[in-house]
Amino acid sequence: MAEPDVIAAYVDRLARRLAFDPALSQRVRREAEDHLWEEVAADPSGGGPDAERRAVEKFGDPDALAAQFAVVSLARQARAVGMATIFGIAAVFVAMKARLTWYVATEYAAGQGGRLGEIVVSIDRYAFWLSIVVAIGGWVYIGTRRIPTALTSEYRRQIRRFVVLCLAGTGALIASVISDGVLTSLRLGGTRGSLDVLIPVVSMAIEVGCAGGLVRSIRGMARRATATGRVAPLE
Amino acid sequence: MLKGHLDMIVLAALAAGPAHGYAVIEEIKRRSSGAFELPEGTIYPVLHRLEHAGLLAGRWTTADSGRRRRVYELTKRGKRELGERRAVWEQFSEAIAGLFKGSRSWQSPT
Repeated sequence: MAEPDVIAAYVDRLARRLAFDPALSQRVRREAEDHLWEEVAADPSGGGPDAERRAVEKFGDPDALAAQFAVVSLARQARAVGMATIFGIAAVFVAMKARLTWYVATEYAAGQGGRLGEIVVSIDRYAFWLSIVVAIGGWVYIGTRRIPTALTSEYRRQIRRFVVLCLAGTGALIASVISDGVLTSLRLGGTRGSLDVLIPVVSMAIEVGCAGGLVRSIRGMARRATATGRVAPLE
Repeated sequence: MLKGHLDMIVLAALAAGPAHGYAVIEEIKRRSSGAFELPEGTIYPVLHRLEHAGLLAGRWTTADSGRRRRVYELTKRGKRELGERRAVWEQFSEAIAGLFKGSRSWQSPT
């Protein structure tokens, strides 16, 4: 019976533990394989299953290593979510400005909504600025935290605070997008389908898409935090 | 104790020039005369973390064996960080050495 490939079995196990982050899993597999084969090549015995076993032993427990990688993965995901939140808000801002510019350019002056319109404009404005302030705060907060070598209760708390900030920022953004939707409907109310409504409708679709994308990325982040907790026990 | 200084050890090993994980471990062993015993795989999460923090830059290359290999090097920020950590460490080490010197002369009369 053929002897199982020790290194292949080891890197498989390590990669499986990191399956929640496919890019990381692939990268770790490549790096670990390269390292282990280098180690085997340097072994005085010149190779063979015993040299492979020694290389794997020196490399360390795959579960412990996976736990350390998981923390870095979580930090990377957190930073990506922070960036996505800021870019999402910026995209909503651009879509909003494009729509308003279109109204001015086409002298589109259909329904303004009166008193209701004024209230919704205020909600829109304050919600949008709140989302910017909270998102930037969250991004700066997570960007200035030190990434620990292992998952600590302190780091887990910091990640939770960051998720809460992202949710608050996205919540405010959603309020702003809903307000934009109301304002757009008030303005376009009664208009029969024409090319003039294309830009407002497309810009609204972009806003809704951005808000939805942010909710998805925050959900992904929360899932990653849970997966990290499973791989990396608290220290 | 070693765990708390791994970042500095890895940064110091990479001060000599770009290297892949295995070469970093070898450099640490060589320069420390084998004083640091740690599971070799431990170096990789450190390399990933330092890269994420912008202290290292990594790029994929192909080794002579044909395997894909990630090579790391210090960024400008990494060099600055290493300089700062070295200064703090030297200060700390001098202070401890001073303390030990004092304790030796205090014990010697007995």
